[in-house]
Amino acid sequence: MSPTTRRTAEQRLRRLLVMLPWLMERGETPLADVARHFAMTDEEVASDLELAAMCGLPPFVDEMIDVFIDDDVVIVGVPRLFTRPLRLTAPEGFALVAAGRAAMQLPGADPDGPLGRGLKKLEVALGDDGVVVDLPRPPGVDHLVDDLADAVRRVERLTVRYWTASRDEVTERTITPRRVFHDRGEWYVIADDRRSGERRTFRIDRIETLQRTGEFDDPDDRRDHGVGGVGGEPEWFADGGLPQVTVRLAPEARWVIERYPVDEVTTTASGDVRARFSVASPRWLEQTLLRLGPDAEVVAPAQWRSLGATTARRILERYASEGDGEGAPR
Amino acid sequence: MERIDRVERLTNLLALLLETSQPLTLVQIAGELEGQYPGKESTRRAGFERDKAALRQIGVPIESQVLTAHQAGMTGYWIDRDRYELADLELEPDEMRALQVAVAAARPSSGRDALWKLGAEVADGAASVTATVPEVAGLPALRDAAARRSPVRFSYRDRARHLDPYGLLLRGGFWYVVGHDHDHDEVRTYRVDRIEGDVAVGAEGAFERPVGFDLRVAFPTDPKLLGVDGVSADAVALVCVDAARAKAVERELGAQRVLARHDGGAIDVEVPCANRAAFRSWVLGLVDHAVVEGPPDVRADIVDWLTRMARS
Repeated sequence: MSPTTRRTAEQRLRRLLVMLPWLMERGETPLADVARHFAMTDEEVASDLELAAMCGLPPFVDEMIDVFIDDDVVIVGVPRLFTRPLRLTAPEGFALVAAGRAAMQLPGADPDGPLGRGLKKLEVALGDDGVVVDLPRPPGVDHLVDDLADAVRRVERLTVRYWTASRDEVTERTITPRRVFHDRGEWYVIADDRRSGERRTFRIDRIETLQRTGEFDDPDDRRDHGVGGVGGEPEWFADGGLPQVTVRLAPEARWVIERYPVDEVTTTASGDVRARFSVASPRWLEQTLLRLGPDAEVVAPAQWRSLGATTARRILERYASEGDGEGAPR
Repeated sequence: MERIDRVERLTNLLALLLETSQPLTLVQIAGELEGQYPGKESTRRAGFERDKAALRQIGVPIESQVLTAHQAGMTGYWIDRDRYELADLELEPDEMRALQVAVAAARPSSGRDALWKLGAEVADGAASVTATVPEVAGLPALRDAAARRSPVRFSYRDRARHLDPYGLLLRGGFWYVVGHDHDHDEVRTYRVDRIEGDVAVGAEGAFERPVGFDLRVAFPTDPKLLGVDGVSADAVALVCVDAARAKAVERELGAQRVLARHDGGAIDVEVPCANRAAFRSWVLGLVDHAVVEGPPDVRADIVDWLTRMARS
């Protein structure tokens, strides 16, 4: 048996049905090019094509698919069958439509440009499906996303005033934006932060002002920008050394499991759901406990068991002393 | 029986069904693919069913019909080449390139396979602007159903739903399906990741999407605007926000929502509150930087919430 038996028959056939029409259109293709294009090894390509060459029906036994490899070049003779790829599957159609519509919402997209025209042609083939991808810019600062995307392209250093939610403070920083991304309803920029000397993720709606410096850095040659595209708070990208909290959640409070990265969810014998979170800062925990309200209770660690109640009391004081001095500096 | 590789047998079966000019019965298929299926009827049927399922799984449309005349009662199989083959999208090189970049930016899991079929690859190099498009099991079937105007059935919060899907919307990190709900006889929205189990797709062309139907309009942008339990969708609350967060809140809501400006920088803003839970979440997100001034019942709601918390 060949060394490729780990791939299932379905996987091999699926690949073959897309590889054959591609080869037929080219006539002759170096084996290495085929392997690179389809993310396979040379050996896998060779063994699949040898197998294809053996396929056949009477009266065309062994000559239905006229393909052979000579001196590391794949040569296809007169095409008869499998001249066109198999139609797109539902997941493939969805992938193209969703990616295309999402890209249309990214900075620099032009509805009359190539992407817009390509999407119209896709719609003709795949049907008018009413798929809408909405990636709204942060309200009031909608230009920031585009400004930052421009800065990424120019590799220009920027000075920003940034509100750090976890510490509730605004700081001025110099950053070099490297990548702009949208995830779960928020826009982020990954940037080299002068002050810490580290690559950090910033939420774009928390940038209060932005100024160009006219100074430029070197383009980034790291292909992977070192930070994944999931999470909500930039702090979540930090190392695993964050303190953790375990919270007992009533059914009404379980939405939090979907909303934030949870390290562990357990259901006790009595049906209690407990979730363990990394805590970026006490400030974040306060905010989250307030939203969960009476439907959640900190189980551990002890130092945070009364945090929710204390925070609630602090705010209630403001409701009691209504009128004298909201807005006064704290 | 001669040992034959399964990929080879599947390829031969596929070729046979593509080439045939008339539906073929299993007996005829086994005859054409001599020695590739077992001779015993029950094992032959099992092997063929397994192959048929494998072909369908990779997306091959296999047609079948019950035959008449001398083959009465037997099922005939064939593949309609027009349905099998990818239609030529006639993409210009720059349009193809744009789709490649789009797939690189959004990285949908089936994007690479889709581009291969179009004769292209995912654009290389890390994209400098990207968007995560969440993937949920029911999405491809729902997209297909919306495009074909097929009604769908699915379970949601333990109840069976019947919907004419008008479209799908990705907003705030979640996919929603919007359509005409048969049981409630109105346009309803469901979160796709909350659909339980499979989406069953009905017959094609069963409904029309209303002319000019706009998904973005049908679906309220701001969760605080979602009217629930008979509360008017334009209900608003008056909130005082202190100087520390005033600027950010004004930016979020817009200057027209600012009703008063206090010395020291605090502002009074009106905030939609039809959806009390969404409103509460918003206002408590400001922790001690905001106080609800009114109306009294909305203020009492927040005070009650905090009081219950403070007691625990």
